[in-house]
Amino acid sequence: MRVARIKQGFARLRFAAVLAYVLPAPVWAGEITVFAASSLTDVLQNIEPRFEAETGHDLRLSLAGSSKLARQIQMGAPADVFISANADWMDRLEEEGLIASETRRSLLGNALVLIAHDPDASPITIDNGLDLPALLDGGRLAMALVDAVPAGIYGKAALEHFDLWEGVAPKVAQAGNVRAALAFVASGAAPLGIVYETDARAEDDVTVIARVPAESHPPIRYPVAALTPVNNPAVTAFLDFLDTPQAQDIFTKAGFTRPAE
Amino acid sequence: MTLSCHLKHAFPGFTLDTRFEVPDGLTVLYGRSGSGKTTIVNAAAGLLRPDEGRMQVDDWLLFDTMRKAWLPAHQRRVGYIFQEGRLFPHMSVGQNLRYGRWFAPKGATPEPLDRVVEMLGLGPLLHRRPAALSGGEKQRVAIGRALLAAPRMILADEPLSALDDARKSEVLPYFERLRDEVEIPILYVTHSAAEVARLATTVVTLEDGRVTGQGTATEVLGDPSVTPLGARAAGAVIEATIAAHHSDGLTELNAGGAPLFLPALAQPKGSTVRIRIAAHDVILSTAEPNDLSALNILSGTVQDTRSGQGPGAIVSLDTPAGRILARVTRRSATRLGLQTGTRCYAVIKSVALAPEDIGG
Amino acid sequence: MEWLTPAEWQAVALSLRVAFWATLFCLPIGVLTAYALARWAFPGRQALNILVHLPLIMPPVVTGYLLLIAFGPQGGLGAFLKDTLGLTFAFRWTGAALASGVMAFPFMVRAARLSIEAVDPKLEQAAATLGASRAWVFATVTLPMILPGILAGCVLAFAKGMGEFGATITFVSNIPGETQTIPLAIDLALETPGGEGRVMRLALISIALAAGALALSEWVSRRVATRVGGA
Repeated sequence: MRVARIKQGFARLRFAAVLAYVLPAPVWAGEITVFAASSLTDVLQNIEPRFEAETGHDLRLSLAGSSKLARQIQMGAPADVFISANADWMDRLEEEGLIASETRRSLLGNALVLIAHDPDASPITIDNGLDLPALLDGGRLAMALVDAVPAGIYGKAALEHFDLWEGVAPKVAQAGNVRAALAFVASGAAPLGIVYETDARAEDDVTVIARVPAESHPPIRYPVAALTPVNNPAVTAFLDFLDTPQAQDIFTKAGFTRPAE
Repeated sequence: MTLSCHLKHAFPGFTLDTRFEVPDGLTVLYGRSGSGKTTIVNAAAGLLRPDEGRMQVDDWLLFDTMRKAWLPAHQRRVGYIFQEGRLFPHMSVGQNLRYGRWFAPKGATPEPLDRVVEMLGLGPLLHRRPAALSGGEKQRVAIGRALLAAPRMILADEPLSALDDARKSEVLPYFERLRDEVEIPILYVTHSAAEVARLATTVVTLEDGRVTGQGTATEVLGDPSVTPLGARAAGAVIEATIAAHHSDGLTELNAGGAPLFLPALAQPKGSTVRIRIAAHDVILSTAEPNDLSALNILSGTVQDTRSGQGPGAIVSLDTPAGRILARVTRRSATRLGLQTGTRCYAVIKSVALAPEDIGG
Repeated sequence: MEWLTPAEWQAVALSLRVAFWATLFCLPIGVLTAYALARWAFPGRQALNILVHLPLIMPPVVTGYLLLIAFGPQGGLGAFLKDTLGLTFAFRWTGAALASGVMAFPFMVRAARLSIEAVDPKLEQAAATLGASRAWVFATVTLPMILPGILAGCVLAFAKGMGEFGATITFVSNIPGETQTIPLAIDLALETPGGEGRVMRLALISIALAAGALALSEWVSRRVATRVGGA
């Protein structure tokens, strides 16, 4: 009885082997490492299982401030794909020949918002007359590193546009990445913060009290590109997957926008 | 002054149950290693809390478990001289000596520093560090340090056992001076019969955690039934006066009328000395011995014979010089017919009286 | 020196200040804790030991986050200390010092404890028989003998304070002049295009300071050891 079972098992194995030989690539499990800006944490973690189920490839995500990731790629980190929160670092990598230019495109857009910890905080308008220090009332304005991390760079640009930067600069608490800034506001350590709209949506413990006007800062674009050398078939599968309705749906629901090309 | 001690303490596999009362002077707790001597001293110092007991020096109560009285160690005013000295390595000798003095309560009058330094010969050592001292020097400093703390009692736990023979004989006289020149009671632990012989005013013998005997050194060491360290250590202590110093390197002593010859002693004519005669250095003869090389022959009467499980026997002899113990084989005792009342002669090789067994 | 920008000097000065206060904070509490763990038996001793070592084994970011919860503007301890002592930690150099102090604490305790355990309790007994109470025994016998160990603990604590990053940035964020210590400045420079020069300069200064502290401690340690002499 058992012998028959074993024989059956072997038969199945042989069949599967033949099948694997004959069927197209997706059946072969590959591995792909994606470095992505921390603001993409939730959406990419959402996409991961769907991508893996559909293609059979194994996705590894490394999420951090775009600047930190770019630096690691410069130092030779074994990433296959890079999704940055601004074009600046992507340009740098392109200059150094680290990305496959033909794969580069703008994947997503985003917006900046001013968030508060207090759920009863009233909405305000961001313009030249805004008295941020008064609003902070001794507390801190949480932002990502204003000279390095895209969310911080965009935020500072916006505040400078409205001549508010000088007044509020001493009250800014710079976090290592935008999610850390979000955490400061969520925990209440900082009463206000500037983060992406998508971050604010993902966090229950913060309230959006203002949208930062898009014209006050460079357009927020998330470029994506494959890193050289491209020899991993899973890369194409991943890049293509990002365009599928499935993935797009996840992006939109989170609050990301399609970049106006 | 009286030191009264009652102590009961359970150890794994061994129970200590002692009770004794001793007068002033230097009291020796004498017994084998592990018989409980150190426990008693540590309880006296406040370093060990016994299950049950009471210790009092004159009117000063150290502890009483029944009344839940317990004086903490630093209030006990006991000067403890440890086996290993335990000098503070980060202080000079002088600082070590002054350490106890600093903590002595107001009104306490410690011995003057100069006197202690002089008594113990510590002058040249005052600025040295303990690491630069020999074992004997360390112990002398330890004695001085304990003394300068103005103690009401001095404890010494086998203070000489870590020293070699030469150092032992160097330090032993200082304990004699301590006993004679300082009016503080001393409780001294040892398993050496020689130290007992030289130092003890009173001896308390301990065996397996129990007190087996109490008395003067002469009484205890002369009693063959009290040999806590076994027959090998048995020996008698007798007192003698120095009669003359001879030019051939021998000193003649007068022990109760009988002459004894020893290698030259330093003490002057007329002074009294205590000598110990180890039982295994004594040969017995029922016939008067003639033409022997041994100079010291005492005649006496057998007082008692005791045999143990082995082939040996201890014979105690009454002589004009005092009680002498001799270790012979049981076979010889039987063959010579040694029983109470037998007249015989004790032959002691003069060279067998070792310098450490002689003391004033 | 001209080769450091004012911002970089600021980071160096802040680092020294933070590390100094962190060490000072660790010293009495650390030595006392080490003594308790080494010499006293009490219920919860093992728990205390584990608690002391937590900053060593937890991810620094977690430590920083816990500090934020406890000492942040919303934290219970934070509010209490502000009201009673007027002391704020959130987003201030004091918070950076606290973060460094907490991270350095296990090093201080370990070094001190090793030292205390090496002191022969028999010497402490001897001191007691000579009339010294527990406190005096500690002051006159134990303390002088554990000094080299405490010194080693101080150096380790100082070095850890100079190098602390994860807990600091999570607790007090990166604020130039207030919380931007050398490690935070280096991290920022790494993420800024063209910041490589600054990274190197700050790294070299960091190494020089650490080496200096180590050399100083070795020298002092030797002097103290000869005073204790052949223990």
